[in-house]
Amino acid sequence: MSRVASLCAFALTLAPAVSAETRQIDAHEHGTGSLNIAIEDNLVVMEFEAPGHDIVGFEYEATSDEDRAKIEQAVAALASPLALFAPSEAARCTVTEARASLLTDQEHHDEDGRDAHDKDEDHHEDEHAHDEGEDHHEDEHAHDEGEDHHEDEHAHDEDQDSSHTAFEAAYRLTCDNPEKLTRLELPYFQSFPNAEKLVVQVATDAGAHAFEADRDAPTVDLRGTH
Amino acid sequence: MTLTRLAFKSLLSRGFTVGLTVFAIALSVALFLGVEKLRTGARASFADTISSTDLIMGARSGSVQLLLYSVFRIGNATNNVSWESYEDLTGRPEVDWAVPISLGDSHRQFRVMGTTRAYFDRYKYRGGRSLEFAAGGEFADLFDAVVGADVADTLGYAVGDPIVVAHGLASFTEHDDLPFRISGVLEKTGTPVDRTVLVGLGAIEAIHVDWQGGGRKSGPATPAEMLREMDLEPAAITAAMIGVKSRLQVFKLQRAINEYPEEPLLAILPGLALQELWEIVGVAETALTGVSAMVVVTALLGMAAMILSGLNERRREMAILRAVGAGPMTIASLLMTEAMAMAAAGAVLGIALLFGGLLLLRPWLDAAYGLYLPVTGLTPRDLGVLAIVVAAAAAVSLVPAARAYRMSLADGMMIKF
Repeated sequence: MSRVASLCAFALTLAPAVSAETRQIDAHEHGTGSLNIAIEDNLVVMEFEAPGHDIVGFEYEATSDEDRAKIEQAVAALASPLALFAPSEAARCTVTEARASLLTDQEHHDEDGRDAHDKDEDHHEDEHAHDEGEDHHEDEHAHDEGEDHHEDEHAHDEDQDSSHTAFEAAYRLTCDNPEKLTRLELPYFQSFPNAEKLVVQVATDAGAHAFEADRDAPTVDLRGTH
Repeated sequence: MTLTRLAFKSLLSRGFTVGLTVFAIALSVALFLGVEKLRTGARASFADTISSTDLIMGARSGSVQLLLYSVFRIGNATNNVSWESYEDLTGRPEVDWAVPISLGDSHRQFRVMGTTRAYFDRYKYRGGRSLEFAAGGEFADLFDAVVGADVADTLGYAVGDPIVVAHGLASFTEHDDLPFRISGVLEKTGTPVDRTVLVGLGAIEAIHVDWQGGGRKSGPATPAEMLREMDLEPAAITAAMIGVKSRLQVFKLQRAINEYPEEPLLAILPGLALQELWEIVGVAETALTGVSAMVVVTALLGMAAMILSGLNERRREMAILRAVGAGPMTIASLLMTEAMAMAAAGAVLGIALLFGGLLLLRPWLDAAYGLYLPVTGLTPRDLGVLAIVVAAAAAVSLVPAARAYRMSLADGMMIKF
């Protein structure tokens, strides 16, 4: 009996270790997107990510046709990078690859999920059940409605049944005159009125640089970065 | 022309007061430019410490913190990186090379860093320069150590000397059962490497084989011969430097590390972390620049006060000048010329003080703080500052000039009782 008991105790101590799941959630800041640019020779790779809030204005699961259409439009818009993140004309850059997708909490940055994403694919359905739907979400963000910049950072819990979504896009560009890539215009802010800020990180052979662009100053000066 | 000569002679006749005023301006100018030199020097010195490393990987904390402890040996790691994760992540196809580093032990006041031989090839500083040996070479044996230039200088070490590594930092428990032998001394680099003792990663494990829970195990020590035979794969490292095959993959790899599900890790681009650091330090720098600017303003105001108080003594001089035909405008411009001459002299003397001070303090700053200040010519900004000082002097001299302008001819001629 005592042996069984001790075995049980042993099993109990083991249980949390066995069922241990990874609980990691990315920081999520409404109004702020990120754009990483890596430049090597005449190749430019860009990775873009922004909260669903910035792009379509909501982060709940799209159930209405209207919301679905919004997401589809956004994904389509994100698939043409030159209209959002425009490099200097003189650099003569052309897009060789572009894909954009909507990620929900569960698959957020899941490597395998990423590979499955395709330009033609609409979006991934959120696996969360959203009973409260929009109302719940609005409540959560009620506090920042008066602010100009929605800069509330959420550290949130799986249990709360709140979800965040993010749009993600990856681009590959070829530039005929990469040395003339001195400026990046961001009509992105015109296309997505909820977007307030874009953190741009540039990595080249000359090192790495970070910039912040916002609605009032929608350009990045790339001189001296490569 | 006469006016300039007159101003000059007048200043000479009041040599002592003028000299002090000029010196005050010179000091303030030297301080202001010096703060700027120190600021840019510190930035350049930090930026030069690491180059050609694409990513630094460590425990998840802050990017600035990771950069500080892994590269500058400032502060400590919150956590270690398990060897398993290190091998797993550096096995990814994007990785070109990876160098693990293990910190935590010390030798006297210097840090001991465990690493692999690849460190000597991969660590680059000041725009891609490699580490060079002043004497000896890389570690050949498990118990070989390579010391930085400052370590060798301060402690008088040469190749072949034995050294003992202390457990932990600032600790008195020494691993004296296993002394190391110095296999090489590095050339001076102006980076924290100068103040580091480098040993093999396996050696860090080896010296801890007989240690348990912070104390030495009882019983006989494991002989060095046996340790050499042992498989000394580390359980954990502090951080790793990583190079990617193609620059285009750097963000992808960074993301993979940051989202590595098995262990909370952080990968940073050193340049970006440094930029973040400057944003934090920038506030203090601005304050320092502000204070030194106020010192310049104070010196200039002192000069204005000096001219103003001199006016009373010079009533007679002014009256005579007026009597021989100088208009009130001429008197005013005489005072302004004097002020500008003093400011210009102060500026020139200030530059001399600055460069003199730099040349004197440079070896000390380099040795004490690892801050290498290049003595470069004046930047356009410096020249701009000097021009502003002279212009500001002209502006503050308007007060005494206006007063002198208003003083009547009779004012100085009449003898008051």
